[in-house]
Amino acid sequence: MKQDLIYFLPELIVSITVLFLFLLDCFIGKRSRRIFPVIAFIGIAAMMLANKSSSPLPSARFFSDMMVFDHVSVLFKYIFGLAGLIAIVIANGSHELEKVDKANYFTLLTALVLGMMLLANAHHFLMIYLSLEMVSLLSYILTGSLQGSRRSSEASLKYVIYGGVASGIMAYGISILYGLTGSMTLTGVAEFLRMNAVSKTALYTSVLMIMAGFGFKVASVPFHMWCPDVYEGAPTPFTAFLSVGPKAAGFAVLLRFFFGALSQTTTSGIEPIKIIGLPALLGGLSIATMTLGNLAALQQKSMKRLLAYSSIAHAGYMLLALVALNAEAVTGVIFYLSVYLLMNLGAFLVLIIVGDQLGSEDISVFQGLSKRGPFAALLSIVMTVFMFSLTGIPPMAGFIGKFYLFGSVIKSGHYTLAVIGMLNSVVSLYYYIRVVKIMYFDEPVDGRNLTTPMVSHASTVFALALLTIYLGLFWNGLANIVGQAKLF
Amino acid sequence: MQLAFFYFFSGLSILSALFVIFFRNTLSAAIALVVTLFGVACLFGLLEAHFLAAMQVLVYAGAVMVLFLFVIMLMNLGREELLKIKLAFLGIIGVITGVCLAILLVTRFMGLSAPLLSLDLGVEYGTVKSVGKLLFGEYLIPFELTSILLLVAIIGAITLARKPQS
Repeated sequence: MKQDLIYFLPELIVSITVLFLFLLDCFIGKRSRRIFPVIAFIGIAAMMLANKSSSPLPSARFFSDMMVFDHVSVLFKYIFGLAGLIAIVIANGSHELEKVDKANYFTLLTALVLGMMLLANAHHFLMIYLSLEMVSLLSYILTGSLQGSRRSSEASLKYVIYGGVASGIMAYGISILYGLTGSMTLTGVAEFLRMNAVSKTALYTSVLMIMAGFGFKVASVPFHMWCPDVYEGAPTPFTAFLSVGPKAAGFAVLLRFFFGALSQTTTSGIEPIKIIGLPALLGGLSIATMTLGNLAALQQKSMKRLLAYSSIAHAGYMLLALVALNAEAVTGVIFYLSVYLLMNLGAFLVLIIVGDQLGSEDISVFQGLSKRGPFAALLSIVMTVFMFSLTGIPPMAGFIGKFYLFGSVIKSGHYTLAVIGMLNSVVSLYYYIRVVKIMYFDEPVDGRNLTTPMVSHASTVFALALLTIYLGLFWNGLANIVGQAKLF
Repeated sequence: MQLAFFYFFSGLSILSALFVIFFRNTLSAAIALVVTLFGVACLFGLLEAHFLAAMQVLVYAGAVMVLFLFVIMLMNLGREELLKIKLAFLGIIGVITGVCLAILLVTRFMGLSAPLLSLDLGVEYGTVKSVGKLLFGEYLIPFELTSILLLVAIIGAITLARKPQS
């Protein structure tokens, strides 16, 4: 039990932070609300330190096989922690969240990080279900946190209804899988499937149904419908977090499900369970997801909706790597998620800085941004970096991310899929570059200049841009760390 | 005999679950849900899980349903606000998919449940003691996670329902 708690230390720290913040809310007055983001920040930073000290431990399963500890879980905890820290910095001082109760917002955000950590390390279907529900519930609440805003409430309600249906279907799928294999743990399912023959149709049905829950979290077709409306209605600082955090958690659990329950590791590598056409299913899903995301993004007028469809497209790219189902795919997905975290949060932060001052979230607000004073000129360069990186143009980090993703697909021999993925990147070039174009070649609609925002916002956005370029030039360090990560 | 009861109670819960969806009056739908939950409780009883059966009746058919009824009463829905069922194109597709899925599941799972029914269960199976042992032993972490989940849900609901601060 003591050993179990050592593995659980990062989660424990975040849980204590959350409970402490809840209690603090009861005792502290309205004046000193500023302390909440500080404590949440310290809690998550402490989690990352504990995570660092636990990284040399060997892989293990703990709490009677409920959870798993391995290097992939360590990496995902870093990703969630970083996303949480940046989300706190972004939310602190945003104009949009001025009227929101800060105490609750930051506490629930920290709880969301906890839910994502549990989801990424779950080894038992009960844990997967519970932590998925925790992530979803908190996402609904934070989406609707703009009180009195019709859009925000509507987005939250849509999210709840979609989420309820998706998790219901997933729970049914899990029950079928349990009925088939008699096991609730991921590796237990794999063990049973290796030894025994089961009804192919029933297994296929259950996997499809479970995919409903996971697909909903990563916003893949056909469970993407909530994404644009929720992204648009939610307060932008939370949208930024929603587009990277819960999505990364969704991919973590997808990796565990496909590599843990539906494949087996042999001496020659990882092999998917033969009886179901997993590559065909995932390949179809991923092509549909990226194509729909990219085509729909072409005609968006709102920047938030554009980034929503772009996040659907990026989910499609990452699903592509899952088709490959090899060790490179794990590396590819985790590397891409870390890069995507930097560039997408960066793009959202630029939108928040510009939107807060000019009072709109349409793409037209970027018209002639480079001519709105010295800070705006600098911000335009930063935005260009993020847009190029999201497209996947060298020397930005997005290019290296796509390189690893498509590399794993090519290595597994699915050349057609890789070509479709690259063609999709070309399509995405149009709408990303259009933002850059209107920033530099259009004239501003009015004479307002951008003033320098808060130091924390400005420094974060520049740091994210620098990291995006840095990882595009010197990716070896990160790639080595990610490449050594082993699942289970 | 046991099999006859099984089919009776599962039929009852499926039928009343359909009623939950198709009743226009929310109050009738809620009452139909009570019947569904009761049917599920009986199924638990047939599986020797007596404690779970009792809890199902107490918590779901009792406490949760009373809350549902209170909410319906407080919302005071008028006739015009009740949901109108329109079997549009998508609805028809949904029905067809559902029927296909049902046929598939029934045909594919016919032979699967047989060995599970003949399992030799100990004397303690389904008692409060054994459920408690499982809940506070093997399933301790999900149990604790549920408590955090509920806490967060309560606080979230309060956050959303509270009047905006001026």
